Amino acid sequence: MTGSLILAALVAVAAVLLVAVPFLREPAPREDTIHEPLAADKRRLELAEERDRALAALKELEFDHRTGKLTDADYRELVGTYRRRAAAALQALGSAT
Amino acid sequence: MIALSVAAALAVFLLYTSAFGRGTPTISPGQLPGTHGRVSVVGTVVGKPTGDGHQQALRFVMRDRDGTKTVPVVYRGSVPDLFKTGREVVIDGTLVDGTLRAVPGSLVTKCPSKYAPAKSA
Amino acid sequence: MADLGRAALIVTLGLTVYAAVAGAWAARAHRRRLAASAGNALFAALGSTLVASAVLLSALLRHDFSFTYVADHTSTELPTSYSISAFWGGQEGSLLLWLLILCGYSAAAVFLNRRRAPDLVVWTVPVLGAVSTFFAFMLVAVSSPFATQTAPAQGAGLNPSLQNPYMLAHPPLLYLGYVGLTVPFAFGMGALLAGRTDERWIVATRRWTLVAWTALGIGQLIGAHWAYVEVGWGGYYAWDPVENAALMPWLAATAFLHSVMIQEKRGMLKVWNVLLVILAFCLSLFGTFLTRSGVINSIHSFTESSLGPWFLGFICVVVATSLALVFWRLPLLRSKTRLESLVSREAAFLYNNLLLVALCLTILWGVVFPMVSDLAVGTSRTIGRPYYDFFLRTFGLPLLLLMGIGPLIAWRRASLRSLGKTFLWPAAISVGLGLVLVAFGAGSSKPGLVAYTFSAFVLATIVLEFVRGTRATGSFTRLVSRNRRRYGGYIVHAAIVLLAIGIAGSSAYGSSAERKLLPGQTMRVGGYTLAYRSLTQHRDPNHLAIRAAVDMYRGRTLVARVEPGKNDYFAEQQVSNEMAIHTDWLRAEDVDVIADQIEPGGAIYFKALVKPLVNLLWLAGLVFLCGSLITLWPDPREERRLAARYYALAHG
Repeated sequence: MTGSLILAALVAVAAVLLVAVPFLREPAPREDTIHEPLAADKRRLELAEERDRALAALKELEFDHRTGKLTDADYRELVGTYRRRAAAALQALGSAT
Repeated sequence: MIALSVAAALAVFLLYTSAFGRGTPTISPGQLPGTHGRVSVVGTVVGKPTGDGHQQALRFVMRDRDGTKTVPVVYRGSVPDLFKTGREVVIDGTLVDGTLRAVPGSLVTKCPSKYAPAKSA
Repeated sequence: MADLGRAALIVTLGLTVYAAVAGAWAARAHRRRLAASAGNALFAALGSTLVASAVLLSALLRHDFSFTYVADHTSTELPTSYSISAFWGGQEGSLLLWLLILCGYSAAAVFLNRRRAPDLVVWTVPVLGAVSTFFAFMLVAVSSPFATQTAPAQGAGLNPSLQNPYMLAHPPLLYLGYVGLTVPFAFGMGALLAGRTDERWIVATRRWTLVAWTALGIGQLIGAHWAYVEVGWGGYYAWDPVENAALMPWLAATAFLHSVMIQEKRGMLKVWNVLLVILAFCLSLFGTFLTRSGVINSIHSFTESSLGPWFLGFICVVVATSLALVFWRLPLLRSKTRLESLVSREAAFLYNNLLLVALCLTILWGVVFPMVSDLAVGTSRTIGRPYYDFFLRTFGLPLLLLMGIGPLIAWRRASLRSLGKTFLWPAAISVGLGLVLVAFGAGSSKPGLVAYTFSAFVLATIVLEFVRGTRATGSFTRLVSRNRRRYGGYIVHAAIVLLAIGIAGSSAYGSSAERKLLPGQTMRVGGYTLAYRSLTQHRDPNHLAIRAAVDMYRGRTLVARVEPGKNDYFAEQQVSNEMAIHTDWLRAEDVDVIADQIEPGGAIYFKALVKPLVNLLWLAGLVFLCGSLITLWPDPREERRLAARYYALAHG
């Protein structure tokens, strides 16, 4: 009976310790704020995602063509647009960085 | 486009319900008197059932889950192993002269409470 | 010992409340140390829940009947493995399992992501804390597994229908699935709270969703197998509300897995994705509410416990707050990209989503209809099997076809000439096969025939994909390892096709027969002759096994000897049905023999069923698991690319 109480107390103490660790480790930190991503950072992330999307689409277009899902004619039609989109995305990201 | 497909789905759905009806009413023995046609009755088995469903019709009495109204039942068909006095059952049938004439094979016993201790019968 | 368990759960409750409140404060006020502390609270909660679980487990193993829960669900005669499964065999214990898994998932999710996506995690922690608080509260205040009593000499034992290996696998797997859906939900809400519009939350939770979805899928298949083998009515799915409770979130999660691919490729459907993840999570909560509350008439329905209203209230709070959150962030999420063509892979994915969600909602309607009709007209009316079968066919068959069409269409736009080229072979094969099948008599069931033809189409498509891909990349292994998600996905599709074939075969093309036999008599079913030989009994530790010896012939050849019968359990005073299944691999069908009613004189009412292709369902499960694992397998190249993309934001 008292065994359970002691164990229970141990559990509680361990919990409190774990929760307090960040404060115990740095009792007086230089700064304690979480940096919100700036609007510029968020914009850059969106552009990075756009770039990845454009590049992936181009890669997939090539793959679809190689595996025969896209006829040569269709491929020729689309590849120009896709390349331009990828170039634009790369440029946009480059100028934002 | 989304609106179109929602409309299509709704159309299919409405077509179905109009063709196939509005489901079988599930009622308790107390609500039986006055019903016509096929109903699904939920209740507890009370008293001593007789018969085995195959050679002789199974005859037993069903009571409201939490009430006192009862109805005698006549049933032919497979009797689930879990069927016994005190079990909750669902059965389809039509009320004829105060007795529920059950649809053959429609007797279903509820799995005894998984989340409550098994009571001694 | 029970005191330790109770105390540990109170500690958990305190920790989850702290995680929720302090976490929210830290996120709002940008306090770094407080945020870290709130995250740690989730780790500590895992610890204290583990302690509570250990207490319950040890009590079960020791058959400590001073624990009311242990006395209610075990007996000294119960084999050890079932004493373990009694942990989740009852209301309170299963809640504890849920909380344990939730704490585990939460801790892991926070641990793995707090350095990589700190601004996202800081908002995810309070959401996880809030959800965990509900379950911890239920365990502490409403439904505790640690109630005590004066120990009786013997426990009530475990329900015989639960005494089988399935009980060890089915509930935990389902819970790993249900609870797993909390993680993408929490990250999605976290992203909304943080005002993020990128797909970081999806990238972070992709594997979690896959794992949860796989677990839920396999868990359901195990449940179906259990129903088939143990319950003894020859079926594996009854559209019972509790079964549907697991199917609905799985369908929503399937839709979600596909629609996030659209967001990944085109940046579209951000709002739709968030709504889907909310739907999936809420359905998982709803599922467990249905199972516990007794509100709906179900063959699995348990007592009308007091938990119902609590769960319902929680679900309402979740729905209200998450929808409010979405509405608040709506302007941010609106994307400018439009669907370019109705004939493109995005469109195919969209149709797939609409069909899946439509199926999910029709099932939901069927499940709640009794409650709705009760409120509306005073009588609760139940909806039967035909309703579900109809909609499964209406939505399921097009879905099946889409699985084949989708991969063949290119993104953005596919021209007719490309389509013609790629569709030719699969269409020809499937139509050809369809004609062959009709010649063999498959025309007896039109939906069955359609299902088979579509399945052939999809399988042909998948094989073609692998062949073309291997030719293009030069090696099969290179193909799959470079495109894990795509080709793993194809394998999963193949599994679904096998499932469809198995379902079609066993429901549309089977046969059955019922007869009363005396020893020496025979009966026929679907080309087989069954001869009832004799009746025997033998005693096992906790039950009496009654078995009928039945010889199965095909023509004049003896195919097998099966032993259907019943088990009579002593402590529980219950009889269970032991159906005999004979699997004929060559003919790809199962013959199920059920000893329905055994009379004292030795006469038995037998029911025999022939189920063609039913074993494809279980094979489908293995293929599903395999495909899913391939999809889950980490791809170092992709990991590097993603890390580079998000590095700047994490360390900016």
